Amino acid sequence: MALIPEPVRQQLKDRFDTVLSGPVHLTLYTRPGSSRLILPAGLGCPTCEDARQMAELLRDAAPEKVTLDVVDVSRDAARAQIDGVDDVPTIAIASNSETGRIRFQGLPTGTEFPALIDAVERVSRAEHGLSDESLAALAKLTEPAEVMVFATPT
Amino acid sequence: MALASPQVKAVCVEANEFQHLSNQFRVRGVPHTVINRRASFVGALPEPDFVAAVLEGAGVVLDEPHEAPSGPSTEISA
Repeated sequence: MALIPEPVRQQLKDRFDTVLSGPVHLTLYTRPGSSRLILPAGLGCPTCEDARQMAELLRDAAPEKVTLDVVDVSRDAARAQIDGVDDVPTIAIASNSETGRIRFQGLPTGTEFPALIDAVERVSRAEHGLSDESLAALAKLTEPAEVMVFATPT
Repeated sequence: MALASPQVKAVCVEANEFQHLSNQFRVRGVPHTVINRRASFVGALPEPDFVAAVLEGAGVVLDEPHEAPSGPSTEISA
């Protein structure tokens, strides 16, 4: 596996060993693609294979706590539509087998990788880390709200 | 935030990889946050301001309007 070196894998295993508490369910929405070919939008997926390796890295770091479900949207478009996934690769994180409301769209490398690890750990520990004031304010949300944060690896 | 409220869906989008979304939401710098695909702000806000911006973007009327720091990077634009 070229993307993630062995020392990083071991480091993540050691970390998840101590930090994870409850189960985490990951869903990777993907499409067959090639990292070598650039295909028109909607056909290939240049980063899907790397995203799969990354999702598998998370699962393999704590297989007793982290489960991974892979959805090929080219075969199961209905599922992607139900789950509200428009683009691939997308990794959704949940504490159970429901659709995750915490998602990473695109390959989470660079500064997004620690954010992905943090999200897995927070879901596992059910630890939102927000203040009581923020919780009280968020309780006023009665309709679904989608918060998209655009980021870059650097 | 998605852990704290069942109403919130949090999506981290890789801006370079999804140019159509970056163009659609006029992403010029990161982090760029878009709420319900209409309101947006640029920059990393302190937690109270971030929460207030999300609520405002989602159309929730706050009893006491939260005063966000002034400056173009924190302006909510619909």
